[in-house]
Amino acid sequence: MPTEREEEYLETICKLQQLKETIGTTRLSEALKISPASVTEMVKKLGESGMVVRTENEGIGLTPQGNKKALNIIRKHRLCERFFTDVLKLPWDEVHEEACRFEHVLSDRVADALEAFLSHPETCPHGHPIPSKRGKTKKDDAVPLTSLHASQRGVVSRISEESHEFLGYLAALGLMPQVEVRVEQVAPFKGPLLVKIGGASYALGRDVAGKIFVRGVKG
Amino acid sequence: MTPSCLPDIEQIKRKTAFSIALVGNPNVGKSTIFNCLSGLGVITANYPGTTVEVNIATTSWHGVEIALLDLPGIYALDSFSEDQQTARQVLLECPSDVVLIILDASNLPRNLYLLLQLREFELPILAALNLVDQAEEEGLTVDCERLSKLLGVPVIPTVACRGEGIEPLLKEAAAVAAGKWLPSALPLYSIGPIEQEIAALALIIEKNLKGNYFGLSSRALAHLILEKDGEFLALLNENEGGAEVLAGARLSWERISNFYGEDVETRISRERHGLAGSISSQVTSTRPKSRQPFKSLWRAATAPFSGTLILAALLAFIFIFLFYVGNFLSTILNHIWTTIFSPLITSAIYFYFKGSLAGATLKWGLDDGLMAAVTVGIPYVLTFYIVMGFLEDSGYLNALAFLTDQVLHKFGLHGGAAIPIMSSIGCNVPAIMGLSTLNTLREKVLASILVVLTPCGARTAVIMGSVGLLIGWRWALGIFFISAVLIVLSGLLFNRLIPGVSSGLVLEVFPLRLPTLKPMLAKTWFRFRDFILVALPIVLAGSLLLGFLYETGWIWKLTSPLAPVFEGWLGIPAVAGLTLIFALLRKELALQLLVTFAAARYGAGIHSLQDFMTSRQIFVYALVNTIYLPCLATLAVMAHVLGWKRALWISAFTLALALLTGTAANFLLQALGMR
Repeated sequence: MPTEREEEYLETICKLQQLKETIGTTRLSEALKISPASVTEMVKKLGESGMVVRTENEGIGLTPQGNKKALNIIRKHRLCERFFTDVLKLPWDEVHEEACRFEHVLSDRVADALEAFLSHPETCPHGHPIPSKRGKTKKDDAVPLTSLHASQRGVVSRISEESHEFLGYLAALGLMPQVEVRVEQVAPFKGPLLVKIGGASYALGRDVAGKIFVRGVKG
Repeated sequence: MTPSCLPDIEQIKRKTAFSIALVGNPNVGKSTIFNCLSGLGVITANYPGTTVEVNIATTSWHGVEIALLDLPGIYALDSFSEDQQTARQVLLECPSDVVLIILDASNLPRNLYLLLQLREFELPILAALNLVDQAEEEGLTVDCERLSKLLGVPVIPTVACRGEGIEPLLKEAAAVAAGKWLPSALPLYSIGPIEQEIAALALIIEKNLKGNYFGLSSRALAHLILEKDGEFLALLNENEGGAEVLAGARLSWERISNFYGEDVETRISRERHGLAGSISSQVTSTRPKSRQPFKSLWRAATAPFSGTLILAALLAFIFIFLFYVGNFLSTILNHIWTTIFSPLITSAIYFYFKGSLAGATLKWGLDDGLMAAVTVGIPYVLTFYIVMGFLEDSGYLNALAFLTDQVLHKFGLHGGAAIPIMSSIGCNVPAIMGLSTLNTLREKVLASILVVLTPCGARTAVIMGSVGLLIGWRWALGIFFISAVLIVLSGLLFNRLIPGVSSGLVLEVFPLRLPTLKPMLAKTWFRFRDFILVALPIVLAGSLLLGFLYETGWIWKLTSPLAPVFEGWLGIPAVAGLTLIFALLRKELALQLLVTFAAARYGAGIHSLQDFMTSRQIFVYALVNTIYLPCLATLAVMAHVLGWKRALWISAFTLALALLTGTAANFLLQALGMR
């Protein structure tokens, strides 16, 4: 049975993998806000228990077993968030922290009961898909905007940004779910993207564009 | 809640028949229209605690005095940025008789979003459909009459940069001010439950809410509360009846989010965008697009390799332009001054004061001081403003933001900081004020350090007018090179020292265009006029003071305590060091005073400097002047944006850096045998 700390690692690696990022010790230590030395230590430990593999080219990744475990934690986290917003009526920008604590103590049985009680929600309050009991994610073909090439189009499915004001600002520019965007230009060397929304073009930094997920990519 | 309008605005409104507030998205030609309407006599007002400026002016139209308020360019009336907050504050707290919104005809949907939001506030709107010519070029024609009918507000087509449509605009403004177009409360979102919820909430507000909410109608209030507007929700908590309204609002929010499956703010934004889009498509007709002339240039300017080359070429061009055009003008003006004005002024002073102390002092100010201002200020500063105006109006600065985003991440910043940093080569003061567009304090601090180390127009004038003119262009280039190295090193250092991470770039980008001459020159002239009005009195006062100190011999007593630093470390005359301290007032004043001093002693215009100081001394002098402490104006705005403590720290850092670099340069050049 993995410890709480180990579960946090698996969860974070899984989320970074979904962003199609190459995961090194540095990236992981940034995301977890833990020193690189401790990260190296823990990755080694997780490797020994068969949860994590580390390869030259692809960096740190999850084994099938580790992936299952991680999806299980993510599922519990997102179910908790749903419960907090829908039933307890807590504000949606506060529930993430709370859920971080609950996810580790929830048994699989309680998680199943919670899912049934909430009548099988598909996404968390922030729009991220909730994995099923078997660790399957409901077909989510959304990819970060950064994975698109120039002249490709897609429809925004979610924006993983927590700041309410910033989301409002993006919305005023027309950048919100269900809006079609077209990538006009991608600067090389991890530079910004030029994105067309309606009649206007915007330069989006790679960090901002990475938080915007689109589906139905065409062109 | 009593609205508190800015005193400047209050005063000007009392003196005029009616007032017009100008609003619009960034870069739609709002300032061009403002300049066109206002002419001379613009004053600038700040809300306490913000750096966002509101320009205020009056104009006379057929004998009617009109007040004009130029608000910052915004996309929406929320409270995300300081710009938005300020615009909103002025609109609510100092209600204008006409709210003139400037629309970009070539990008109508996004521009109408703001107009729809203004309508929700039920303000007296007049719309100017600007850039009609550019839209035509892109194959778009907009039916103004139809647009006016659909929106319920008057719409006037304009081409601001040629002054077209200004007269009809003022005529219509007078009609709006006279109440011809009553702010209509037409329901905008007639479909779905939003309209019902607004009506229901408005009823609750009418029944329960006490207190004055900027004179907004209950419908407008209902709209804001339904949208979870932070400012108004906070007001509800303070006032009587707020709790009941809040309870009603909660039910409305839940009903809407249940119906649409998304939160109410997003839904309302979406409805507004939808409506803006549908209105726009009803009034716009498209012809097959003609070519986009600068598309390939944009590509080249933003691609890493060619983009860097273009940037380097551009900086080289600015340098060469300043070097040749500036030096040419400086030499001519110097010649004119020494052959025509100087003898006239000298003999006039002699006629009235003979050889008295007053006469000698006056000669410092009126002859040598003015000569220095003319031969440094006009040739270098004016030339520079012309180049800067061209860059701004061409849209190149956007390409620069795109190009430099990745590099600026190394300094803990993003592409959005490129525009203020680039504009800081004009003047640090607006550059620091432009930092209000950055999101975090960390970014503002980091960008400030880069900005204050960037040689501004005045420092460039000193480098060019001394080192460039008297020693040679290679040495002048050397100073810029040393500055660049120091900027990079300081940026990297402070990004490591200050904890935190940088946020990201979100910037609207528009196509490159050939700037129109008239507004560009108008802008240059406005800036230069400000420069003259502020700088000339300081130069006069400074040179009179210096002259008085010199003629009485007190100057030697003053400079002796500083002599070890100036003479020992930097190897420059202590008097030259004294002018460096005067330069806190304005950077180019350092050279102007030094030239004044040299000319008063050796009497041969700007070239007397070479009799007074050696090449090495001139180089070190210009180098130190370039690096240390920005002028007092920069310090003041920096304190405004970052707080006094951080501003003083940054200034102290530049001072230490300047002394270190200056001393190193002095000993190194001495060792290399430079005189």
